[in-house]
Amino acid sequence: MKAMGVVFSNIYDSSLGELTNHRTVASLPFGGRYRQIDFVLSNMSNSGIYNIGVITKYNYRSLMDHLGSCTEWDLNRKNEGLTILPPFVSGNTGIYKGKLEALYSAVAFIDNPNYDYVVVSDSTVLCNINLRDAIESHIKSGVDITIISNKEAADGKKHPLAISVNTKNRVTGLLIDSPAEKGSYVGMGMFIFKREMLVSAIKQCYAKGYVHLERDFIQRGFNEKKLRIGIYKFDGVVLRNEDIKSYYKNNMALLESKVRKGLFLQDNPIYTKVRDEIPTYYGEGSEVCDCLLADGCSVYGKIDNSILFRGVRVEKGAEVKGSIVMQGTKIGKDAKLECVILDKNVTVSEGAVLKGTPQHPVIVRKGETV
Amino acid sequence: MYFRKKDCVAMILAGGQGSRLMVLTEDTAKPAVPFGGKYRLIDFPLSNCVNSGIDTVGILTQYQPLQLNEYIGNGMPWGLNSTNGGIHVLSPYSKSASSEWYKGTANAIFQNISFIDRYNPKNVLILSGDHIYKMDYSKMMREHNKRKADCTIAVLDVSLEEASRFGIMNTDDEGRIFEFEEKPKNPKSTKASMGIYIFRWEVLKEYLISDNEDPTSSNDFGKNIIPRLIDDGYNLFAYSFNGYWKDVGTIDSLWQSNMDILGENPELDMREKENRIYARNYANPSSFVSKSADVVNSYVAEGSLVYGKVHNSIISTGCVIERGAEIHDSFIMPNTVIEKSSVIKYAIIGEDTVVHANAKIGDNPEFYEKNKWGIAVVGKEREVPQNKIILPKETF
Repeated sequence: MKAMGVVFSNIYDSSLGELTNHRTVASLPFGGRYRQIDFVLSNMSNSGIYNIGVITKYNYRSLMDHLGSCTEWDLNRKNEGLTILPPFVSGNTGIYKGKLEALYSAVAFIDNPNYDYVVVSDSTVLCNINLRDAIESHIKSGVDITIISNKEAADGKKHPLAISVNTKNRVTGLLIDSPAEKGSYVGMGMFIFKREMLVSAIKQCYAKGYVHLERDFIQRGFNEKKLRIGIYKFDGVVLRNEDIKSYYKNNMALLESKVRKGLFLQDNPIYTKVRDEIPTYYGEGSEVCDCLLADGCSVYGKIDNSILFRGVRVEKGAEVKGSIVMQGTKIGKDAKLECVILDKNVTVSEGAVLKGTPQHPVIVRKGETV
Repeated sequence: MYFRKKDCVAMILAGGQGSRLMVLTEDTAKPAVPFGGKYRLIDFPLSNCVNSGIDTVGILTQYQPLQLNEYIGNGMPWGLNSTNGGIHVLSPYSKSASSEWYKGTANAIFQNISFIDRYNPKNVLILSGDHIYKMDYSKMMREHNKRKADCTIAVLDVSLEEASRFGIMNTDDEGRIFEFEEKPKNPKSTKASMGIYIFRWEVLKEYLISDNEDPTSSNDFGKNIIPRLIDDGYNLFAYSFNGYWKDVGTIDSLWQSNMDILGENPELDMREKENRIYARNYANPSSFVSKSADVVNSYVAEGSLVYGKVHNSIISTGCVIERGAEIHDSFIMPNTVIEKSSVIKYAIIGEDTVVHANAKIGDNPEFYEKNKWGIAVVGKEREVPQNKIILPKETF
C-alpha cells in the first residue's frame, strides 16, 4: 500500500477577502508562525506520504517562497518530494473553476503507477491527523471513497459537505453547503481514493464538463448509487478557516491549552519554514497576558489575548488586545489596538487607535501604515 | 577525485572536554553546550564562517561527539550543505601504522593534512568551537593577504590585570608579532590572542609535520607552532578585533555571556540582522505567556510555556515555567521544566531537566561572602527533588 497526496492551494481564496489579495489561502499565516498549508503537509509527511502535488491557480509566489526546497517538511527527497503544479493551460482551459478541473490538469502527476491511493486535501481545515490510520481504514472498509470527517455542533452553520452515516460508517445522506444535523458528520475537505478509480473518474467527469468535485462527482455518484462512500471519523481538534470570522476565532482558540495540545503533538510536529529569528525579548515595562508569541519579537508594551508572529515589535505604552499581528509588523508608542488583524509588515504609528469586534475584526493590509 | 581549489578552509577545534563546565559537559562536547535560548556554542564559529563567505569547514571532534555530530548533521541550518566543500566532521581514525587520539590542537590539524590538501587552499583558518563572538573573518583575511603574512592572529585588547590570563602578543608599531607569551606574570602588552589564526597553508603544513616529529612538543598552536614561527623569522601579524568576545570555558563566563545578551543595548546584540547567528531549529509552536506570568528583561524561546515569574533570564526552547515559580538572573537550557513555587536565582539549569516543586536553587550574591558565592548549576537530564535546596556555587 502506497499513497500520494494532492493539495489544493487556492480553492477558498475569495472567502478570506483582503487577507488573500496577495496570497493563496494555503500560504495564509496562522497561529503565530505557520502558514495554513503547513498542517496538511506535516500531516502527510508524518504519515509517510512523501509524494505530494500542490495545485496552484494564481498568486502563488508567496506559497513558493514559503515552501522553498521543502526541507523543513522532510519533503526534499531523492525519489519523492513535493511538486508544485501551476495552472497547465492547454487549449482554452485557462484557470480552474473547480477542483475537478484542477485535478484534470494534474492527471499526469496523479497517474503514477507507483501509488495505489491518493489523499486529496484542501488547505483550510487545520488539524493533526494520522493519515496512515485513515488509509488503512479506507482499505479495510472496501469503499470507493473515504471522506475524512468530524462532528460539529448542529448550530445551523452551513458546511461544504454535511454527511449522515449508518452504523457501519457508510454514507446514507450527502448534502452540499448545508448545516450539520444532530448526530451527523461534516467533511474535512480530505478524501481518500484508489488512484485508478480517481484518474478514470477525473477523465470521465472532465469529458462531461463537470467541474465541482463534491457536487458533480461525489454527490452525483452517490445519488446514482454508483459509488460506495464511507467516512473516517476524526475526533481531534479541527479548525476550519472558512471566512474572516472563523479565521479570527480559530487563531484565538490557540490561546486555550487544550486546543494547542490537540494541534501540536510532540510525536507529530507541525513543521514550518525556518527564519533564524532569535528568541523573543520582553523589555522593562512589558505586560503580557495570555498571548502566543513566535521568536524574534520585542515587547515593551502591553499585550493581552493576542497572537504575535515572528519579528513583531510593540513599543512602550502600546496596548494590543485580542489581535492577530503578522510577521514584521511594528506597533508604535501608545497605540491602542483591539480586535485587529494586522497583515505582514504593517506600521502602526504612535498613538493610533483601531478597534474592531470579534465578529468584524479590523483588517490592515500588508505593508500599510496606520 | 578532483576537488575545486578553495581560497580558504576553516578548521574548528571542537574536541575539548571543557572540564571546567563540570556537569554541563559530563556527556557532551563543549561546543554542543546550549546558549542564548536556542543556540549552541558551535553556532557562532559556523555562522561567522558562512557570513564571511567560507563554505568549506572541518570540525575536529573527539570528546563525546554524539550530540554534536547529530546537531551538525549535514550542515543545512548554516547553509553548509553544499556540493563543493560544505561541512565535514573529522574524528580521529586509525591508520595502517598507528592509531591515536588528537594529542593537541596542532596534532588535530596534523592528522587531517590530507583533508585540507584535497582543497589545496592558500590559507587555513583555525577556530575554536567554544567562543562567543560575531566576526567577519573576510576582513581579517584581507589584512592577512595585504600584508603577505604567513600567519595572522586575531587579538583583543584586554585590561592589564586580565592580560596574565591570556596568551599575549607583543608587537611592534606595525602590528608585527615579535614575541608570544603564554599567561605572562608581567605582561608587556594587552593584546590577547583570541585563538583565531589564519595560516598560509604551505607554511603551516611544513611546521605541523616537523612539530609532529618532535617528541618534546606538546603539539599546541600557542605553545609550539607560533613561537617556532616567530623564532624562524616568519611574518606574523596581529589583527585587532573590537567587538564582543568571550571564551565560555567556565561556568561563570558561560553565565555572564548569556546575561550579556539581555538589556536595551546589550554588549552582544543578537537582534541585529547583520552577521546573524544560525541554529538548528526544531518544530516548536509559538511560546505561550499566561496572565499569571511576569516576564521582564528576558528572552523566551519558541515552544516554551510561561506561567511564573521570569526576570533578567533566558528561557530556552521547549521549557515550562509553572505558576508560582520564580526565575531571576538565570539561564534555563532547552526542554526543562521548573515546577510550581521553585525559586531559581543566579543559576544555570541543564537540558531536559525537571526541577520539582518548591526547590530552591542558587541565591543573590549580596547575602554571601565573596568566596562562598557562585553560580549554582544543575546538569543535564537531572531530576531535582521537591523542596531540594541547592546553594550558590553548588552543582547537582
